[in-house]
Amino acid sequence: MEQEKVIEITNLTKMYGNHVGVKDLSLTVDKGEIMGFLGPNGAGKTTTIRSCLALLTKTAGEITIFGLDSHRDSVTIRKRTGYLPGDFGLIPSVKVRSYLKYLLSLHGSSSTKKMGSLAERLQLDLDRKTNELSKGNKLKVGIVQSLMTDEDLIIMDEPSGLDPLMQQEFYRILRQEQKQGKTIFMSSHNLAEVESICNRVAIIRKGQLIVVENIEVLQKKTGKVLEVEFNDPFKIDEFTFKGVSNIRQDNGRLILTIHENLDNVIKALSNHQILNMNLKTYSLEQLFLKYYAEGEVGEGGDA
Amino acid sequence: MMFGRVAFMELRTGWKGLLIFGLLVVVISAGIPLIFPTYRNSLIEELEGASKVHLELPNEQGDMIILSWETVEPATSYMVLEDNRPSMVTPNIRYLGNETSIAFEKDFEEKRYYAVMAVLDQTSDPVLIGIAATEKGVDPFQELLKNPAYAGLTGGRNFSMLEVKGFVALEYYSWSWMLTGLFIAYLSVSLIASDFENKRMDVMFSAPISRRRYILEKFTAMNLIALFIVLVQIAGLIWGLASINALNEFSANAVLLSLIGSLPFLMVIAAVGITTAVLFQKVRTGMGITFAFVFAEFFLYTFGGFSKSLEWMKTISIFKYWDYFSVIIDDLFKVGDFLILTVMAIVLVITVIRVFQKKDIPT
Ligand SMILES: Nc1ncnc2c1ncn2[C@@H]1O[C@H](COP(=O)(O)OP(=O)(O)OP(=O)(O)O)[C@@H](O)[C@H]1O
Ligand SMILES: [Mg+2]
Repeated sequence: MEQEKVIEITNLTKMYGNHVGVKDLSLTVDKGEIMGFLGPNGAGKTTTIRSCLALLTKTAGEITIFGLDSHRDSVTIRKRTGYLPGDFGLIPSVKVRSYLKYLLSLHGSSSTKKMGSLAERLQLDLDRKTNELSKGNKLKVGIVQSLMTDEDLIIMDEPSGLDPLMQQEFYRILRQEQKQGKTIFMSSHNLAEVESICNRVAIIRKGQLIVVENIEVLQKKTGKVLEVEFNDPFKIDEFTFKGVSNIRQDNGRLILTIHENLDNVIKALSNHQILNMNLKTYSLEQLFLKYYAEGEVGEGGDA
Repeated sequence: MMFGRVAFMELRTGWKGLLIFGLLVVVISAGIPLIFPTYRNSLIEELEGASKVHLELPNEQGDMIILSWETVEPATSYMVLEDNRPSMVTPNIRYLGNETSIAFEKDFEEKRYYAVMAVLDQTSDPVLIGIAATEKGVDPFQELLKNPAYAGLTGGRNFSMLEVKGFVALEYYSWSWMLTGLFIAYLSVSLIASDFENKRMDVMFSAPISRRRYILEKFTAMNLIALFIVLVQIAGLIWGLASINALNEFSANAVLLSLIGSLPFLMVIAAVGITTAVLFQKVRTGMGITFAFVFAEFFLYTFGGFSKSLEWMKTISIFKYWDYFSVIIDDLFKVGDFLILTVMAIVLVITVIRVFQKKDIPT
């Protein structure tokens, strides 16, 4: 069955003068999925997102959202889209509540029910003045703002920066939104974050799309790095299984990358006295190295 | 998604500043007429030391003028200089002696000034006791008005500073544009440029608000603010005029029409402010350019009055199209001028909307 496409970007190029923002980027986001948009600083995530919202003009290419032209039908599209910008300012000297009500009214809505429940879940005090907020609380206002109008599509540019507890609550909220059929497109430069919340991920670097992958496939490809410190001697051979790579010994510690068959490794470990153990997600840089090493992309960008 | 929400938000968040400015405008508008009676009295006794020197004019040409002055103790003698300018650049000596009163025949038509000096001793210069003129209470500003700079402003109209109309026109109208015009310039620029500077555009334009609607809302807010200021000016001025019982000379209707005439003038300034804000997206740059625009227009207008060959400068100045003198002195409200500026403001706003639609919003 063909998935309904919510965002369809075809050969998007955005130049800032003669500086490349994104180059020949094609990407689709399907209805009901959480799509992660991963890339290092300056990769072109914000450029792509702001092009979708017609905040930027395109140099070349096509973007359709809900089957409508992103620029010509921008106002119609925005009636169905919630957006959290990567960087934004609030109207100063008003209460958060009235600021949010104002934004609701711009969306033609007056129902504050969802605004209230989101604020409660994120522990955002609606009676504070907008200019008295901490960075995290300001981000909460942005998150509430992007979700409160209950739009079909939610676009978020780096919604990270909450404390870990709040971040978990935020992910729960996103999953619930997804259950209600919402489509979510969010950028990040944190692989762990994308892995924990997204169904698919698009990886971008230097303005060019490197790969679009299902999270499970990505996880299998990249694996997780396990570091173990033993209280007794061990041999590397003990841990050589299918699905385990990069095994080495470093300062008496065992380091290996697990792609699958975690179970075998755990069983082998149980024969030893273990002092310490650490399971890490690949860093973004390692991920890039991986994809480059596999020769999936050529070095891109005349930026 | 009713139109006006953005405009309303501007008024809501900016009402304090607006109120303070409004109060300032009331005080100034009401205060200027209050100064008039004092000013008028001082003008009648305009000449320096006039109270110490007394000049009695004859009823008929050819009779005697009597000039007398107060005794100055250390004076050894007195000297009277005569000239047809108060500056006494090329005086004749009319009298030299010990008397404190002299009489002489009025054998001339023009206005003459008499400076009475006390001669103290042989070594030091004579000291001025006072100056008197053959035409008392004549308005020295009458001469000032003949200066091309002023003639340009008044359209060469003849009026007196001894009348409340003339006084208020020159002492209030001729500079109040700086107060209102620059305030509008400042606000119109910052209303939009601060949205850019404070990164509020992304959230604004994630709502279903078109760029056209955004500009129109801001322009509407500016028009409401301009209207508010003009109404405050009208109220203040009428109040001031009423307190000196001058409304029979300078009617409330004339106040109203002359200041309503400034509305399109302010609208054009607002449109220019909006334009620079959209183009440069910085409060400072936009404000600098908009202020420069207002002053440039003003100088075009004054220079345009210097000679016939510079007349074209006036035509391209927005100041020409707010002719308050016409309402105040000639009782004529120029509807054509009103419409010209209104259309100009609207054309500018439509143009800037087109430009904005093609521009990136910076991060
Ligand atoms: N207004 C601009 N003028 C010139 N170059 C720009 C502008 N905005 C972005 N760029 C450039 O375009 C490229 C992509 O930037 P973009 O902001 O889209 O990256 P990003 O992936 O969002 O990065 P980050 O993770 O730091 O937010 C960068 O090289 C950046 O320097
Ligand atoms: Mg970014």
